[in-house]
Amino acid sequence: MRISLYSADQEEKIYIRREARTWSRSGLITDVQLGIIDSRTETGLTQTNIFFRILFFLFTNACMHAVMGLYVWMVGIRDEVLIAWAALASGIAMVSLAEYLAGRKSFYRHGIEEALALAGMALACTGIVIFVSLLKIDLRWLITTAALLASAGAFWLYLRFGFLYAAVLSAAFACVVPFQLSLPPAGERAILSMVLVLVLLTSIRTESFETRDFRKERSAMLQAFLLAGIYLAVNLRLPELGRAFWGHSGMPYRPFAGFPPLFYWMTYGLTFLIPALGLYHGLKRRKRIVINVSLIAALLTLATNKDYLGFRHYAWDPAILGAALIIAAIAVMRWLANGSREARRGFTAQDLLKPENRAISLADIGAAVLPGAIHASLPQASPDKPFDGGQSGGGGASQEY
Amino acid sequence: MNVIALLKEMHRAGELNSGQLDVLSEIHLKKRYSVHRELRVAIYVGVLLISAGVGLTIRQYFAQLGDIAIVGSLSSGALASFGYCFMKGRPWSSGEVESPSILFDYVLLFGCTLYAADVGYIETQFHVLGDSWHNYLLVSAALFFFLAYRFDNRLVLSMALSTLAAWFGFQLSVRFLSFHKYYRESAIAYGLITFAAGSLSHRLAVKKHFFDIYLNFTVHFLLAALLSGVAEYRFSSWHLPAMAAAIAAVAVYAMRNRRFLYMLYAVLYGYACLSAVAVAFIDGAAAMYLYGIVSSLAVIGLIFILSRRFKEGT
Repeated sequence: MRISLYSADQEEKIYIRREARTWSRSGLITDVQLGIIDSRTETGLTQTNIFFRILFFLFTNACMHAVMGLYVWMVGIRDEVLIAWAALASGIAMVSLAEYLAGRKSFYRHGIEEALALAGMALACTGIVIFVSLLKIDLRWLITTAALLASAGAFWLYLRFGFLYAAVLSAAFACVVPFQLSLPPAGERAILSMVLVLVLLTSIRTESFETRDFRKERSAMLQAFLLAGIYLAVNLRLPELGRAFWGHSGMPYRPFAGFPPLFYWMTYGLTFLIPALGLYHGLKRRKRIVINVSLIAALLTLATNKDYLGFRHYAWDPAILGAALIIAAIAVMRWLANGSREARRGFTAQDLLKPENRAISLADIGAAVLPGAIHASLPQASPDKPFDGGQSGGGGASQEY
Repeated sequence: MNVIALLKEMHRAGELNSGQLDVLSEIHLKKRYSVHRELRVAIYVGVLLISAGVGLTIRQYFAQLGDIAIVGSLSSGALASFGYCFMKGRPWSSGEVESPSILFDYVLLFGCTLYAADVGYIETQFHVLGDSWHNYLLVSAALFFFLAYRFDNRLVLSMALSTLAAWFGFQLSVRFLSFHKYYRESAIAYGLITFAAGSLSHRLAVKKHFFDIYLNFTVHFLLAALLSGVAEYRFSSWHLPAMAAAIAAVAVYAMRNRRFLYMLYAVLYGYACLSAVAVAFIDGAAAMYLYGIVSSLAVIGLIFILSRRFKEGT
């Protein structure tokens, strides 16, 4: 029985077309060859570009909200049961409409059916949760029910429509559950990590039987998100890093972050082990997104290492980390360039595939923000007033770090 | 059907040569796997972290380090970076020039951040330019423009444009959010100047690929400023017709050049403008909801027609 609204053949053809576009951009095939690939991979599905997809998604959502608002205002519903019925009925109607658009009208990642399916599922879940709340159960159980329901609903959308973000949402909602079981904080994190590890290992095990490229790509993405989830659950010092980033680093240092010492040191070891294993798996199976997530996790491990060990931070710490990162990148680059055909075990620093030009990139935006950030970080006090700004005496209490 | 089967089929039909089949199969099967982008990102993040570390160190220890040490090290760092770029850089060309190495673009960016920190430090500590202190931003912007064009660097061009914006009075602060009060005319002037500079560069075929950067700055500054004018004066000023004309121009450009990011901008700013005007005449919740339904459906209809016209292949 096929649950998905799209056939595996259609999804595979879409994957091939995407690959072909990358080859064409990178000058590996001609426009004529691209045309031939397009003609051989007709899917019969209606697609649109990413920007129109965003607009469709935003305005369909806006329209649905306005319709719901108007309905509630016109009918003047105040009774909880009626509100629950209205939410449930409209949710089912929206998901049905999304199914119609995807199934009969062949919409594929068009924005409209995505907004309808997501909003519909959210409304249907809200309706059921209101019904459950009428049973006057404990708040923790109500939250658990809502989280499980939302997780199941999102997972259904993933199976039915193939929305990857729905699978991520499903996992995220399921992550709420351990925090509602009245466990000690260490137990909550341990259970959460173990469940995520179990799902990740199952995903890795089952992918070896997979032959379709689009499914391999999708499972790599899910594995990357699961890896990120495990890392976030394990690293107990991330909140400090977040506070330092947003300029709120004045909180007193909590030994062991409030966790039992054994658990604390175990998580410290895991913050090194998880990125290392992720990187090993990503490099071995050539999963770009897993490699990238593992590298980010490794960077976070280095950034939180001093917090874990209770060492003092210095203003030049980011510069040292940055320099280490550049040196490592140059070393890898040189090492790869000195291999045969400028590659080692297939890995190369050469630019083989060109990314899509979307007019502006994140790097451009980052560079645009840079002068303002530099200016904001400069000291405002004059050198003939060295005591301004609390540089000495008072321990620099008025200074920000 | 899968990728390899299709490639082999095309090869058998004579639609793909043996060399292409080998290269594409190698890439698809990940027998040849590029980590180029990862290395670039690592170097870029490294430069950002070093810049942040330098800024924090100066901020925290400037009294202990002393002006000579700070200015000396920043100046020599910037000069070394620029020197490296002039020595290793490829000759200037009006077209797109590929960087001699992955590192090159980021050495230039690093030099520019050190220069910005250096000049900013000198100005905040010694007030060399007195009341016209902000003119150092103009000098910095000019240098960044020169370096961006000389070495074909989009990142430095972004720095140049944002430094120019700072000279016009825009800073990264909460006050920016209320710029309708302080900076509207400046933002419009800035938008028009960046557009003129970008268009001139495009017309003269000098680094034509920079046009998108110019256009992004223009669109946001100009449309946000005009939108704030529309929200304040509605029909009683020139902001509304100017906004309508600007949105139409952006939409036409997007369609003609199939640059749909600009269509996204045009629709979002256009909808915000329409709503800013309409809200004044809408009375009551029901009318507001009806406006939401009708306007959203109208936008969906419009985008639907456009998406049919520019049907995606993928």
